[in-house]
Amino acid sequence: MQTLVSAQELTKVYNRGVEEVRALDGVTFDLQKGDFVAITGASGAGKTTLLHLLGCMDIPTSGELLMNGQSTRGLSDSALTRMRREQVGFVFQHFGLLPTLTVMENMTLPALFSKRDAKESAKELLEKVGMTHRRNHRPNQLSGGEMQRVAIARALINCPQILLADEPTGNLDSVNGEAILQLFHQLNRDGLTIIVVTHNPTLANATQRQLVLRDGRLVP
Amino acid sequence: MTFTKFAFQNMLRRKLRTFVTMAGVAVAVAALFSLLAFQRGYQNGMRDELDRLGAHVLVVPKGCPYDAASMALHGASWPCYLKMGYLEQVRKTQGVSVAAPVFMNALYGANGEQTVYLGINDDIRAVKRAWKIEGALPAQTGDIMLGATAAKNLHAQRGREYSLPGLEGVKGRVCGVLAPTQGADDNFFYMPLADAQRLFKRQGQLTHILVRLQDPNSMDDVVGALRGCEAGMEMNIVPLTHLFRTIQGMVNSTRLLLGCIALVALLVAGAGVSNTVLMAVTERTREIGVMRATGASMSDIFRLIWLETALICVIGGVIGVVVALAGAQSLEGWLRNQLPFSPTGALIHPELSVMFACLVGAAALGSVAGLLPAWRASRLSPIEAIRAT
Ligand SMILES: Nc1ncnc2c1ncn2[C@@H]1O[C@H](COP(=O)(O)OP(=O)(O)OP(=O)(O)O)[C@@H](O)[C@H]1O
Ligand SMILES: [Mg+2]
Repeated sequence: MQTLVSAQELTKVYNRGVEEVRALDGVTFDLQKGDFVAITGASGAGKTTLLHLLGCMDIPTSGELLMNGQSTRGLSDSALTRMRREQVGFVFQHFGLLPTLTVMENMTLPALFSKRDAKESAKELLEKVGMTHRRNHRPNQLSGGEMQRVAIARALINCPQILLADEPTGNLDSVNGEAILQLFHQLNRDGLTIIVVTHNPTLANATQRQLVLRDGRLVP
Repeated sequence: MTFTKFAFQNMLRRKLRTFVTMAGVAVAVAALFSLLAFQRGYQNGMRDELDRLGAHVLVVPKGCPYDAASMALHGASWPCYLKMGYLEQVRKTQGVSVAAPVFMNALYGANGEQTVYLGINDDIRAVKRAWKIEGALPAQTGDIMLGATAAKNLHAQRGREYSLPGLEGVKGRVCGVLAPTQGADDNFFYMPLADAQRLFKRQGQLTHILVRLQDPNSMDDVVGALRGCEAGMEMNIVPLTHLFRTIQGMVNSTRLLLGCIALVALLVAGAGVSNTVLMAVTERTREIGVMRATGASMSDIFRLIWLETALICVIGGVIGVVVALAGAQSLEGWLRNQLPFSPTGALIHPELSVMFACLVGAAALGSVAGLLPAWRASRLSPIEAIRAT
């Protein structure tokens, strides 16, 4: 077993005026390569905050995050950007597709930023998420489920080791939610490590492991 | 997909807003372009005009209107005259190389068309060095030499006789035709000095004398000597190079003012572009967050927004140049009416280099205007941007 992510005493404190919000409070856990993990908990428990830390989108107030055994402490913005490019893929509840770009262009946007040619892998991924017939459509011509599948393909275009998804089925009906879940299972079987924040019990129960947060702490 | 295409598509998201912003840049660039083109045109025009004139100093009768130079250049009837006797005095003045006597008279036909007759003698050759004559200068009584345009209008052939427009019962035998000079000379009818004086009943009189100096740099001395000679009180000595410089100086000072206005317009347009793109950045905060999350670096975001600004300015600049080119004709007509003195040649001279300079200016404007929004966008923290609604 290979430890991919190691969170050690992760703490994130927000200052909201005079009030201090401990969104995360000493969270420690390890994830192995190939894990399929759900992060659950009540609203405001710190799920999104944790996911953002895992995605190198934010830095913890204290504690340390190791990716592939490498510490991310004190990394510069460009080094964090490189981590985001190479190590993780991010999926949002609101899909986050750019309205001016076609399905294909949206998918290959991360490749534009990392200056890679992604034509071939884009075709493969489109096939995998079943959106080949919609490659030249714009997001406003797609359904929610279709948009989310494109967003997942985009998250995978740079071949990351970890997929991070924040309530990916939150804006979808149960049928489309089920389809996304099937897609996650398939990707996980192919070796992808998946961490998904969810309120959806079906999705949560379908994973191998659940991390439950309450007021910024992991419930044992 | 390239950054440029991406930025271009982003630019088109708010078409009206982008267009209005672009129009601001276009107007400013059009103003700048016209101004620069005018500067070139006017300078070249004045220089050519001086070359064509050939004279360094113009001697006109005392009491003549100030625009005697313009009359001598473009042709007109004169209200006052010089005595032939002054010619000798001018010739004898220290520093004068040639003094060519001219008698000019303009006649108007029924429809207001102007025919300008010039009485000249052989001295004119030494002044109008650029003249190319097919045939000969008018020397015999009854000879007539035609400017290129005049000859064309008459369908004149050398050696044949034609009745002279405006002069009833008078005929002239065409002894020569002047090659085109691109100036007013092309419209004139030239005849021996004595003929002109006789026909217009001004024996022994001249309208002006064209003077060339041995050394143009001794202008001040020669002008002083001419003013001091015996007939000095009866003549107006017009140093042409100075005159042209004065006129140009007048035009230059207005141009400076206009230049400042164009520059201010450009700055205002730049601020407009900055503002528009800043607004766009605010609207797209969440998108920028998504891009950052999917691997865009700060410099990627900076580049994208900066490119969008530059595109607005460059496209606006191209539109401005095209508009200025399209409007050059009407602007030229308007300017001609406003200016104290306009050379015969084109006033607006849109050179490729000027066009290029304007586009480079627009691009530079875009580069500067883009700094603030691009910096703002690149500084957005990914999570703040993603959480934004
Ligand atoms: N930028 C911020 N400034 C101040 N407080 C913040 C900020 N971001 C999050 N918080 C607070 O941190 C806590 C955790 O927020 P977080 O978004 O991680 O919760 P969540 O578990 O994802 O909730 P939800 O299920 O509603 O998405 C909340 O109390 C929230 O108000
Ligand atoms: Mg959340």
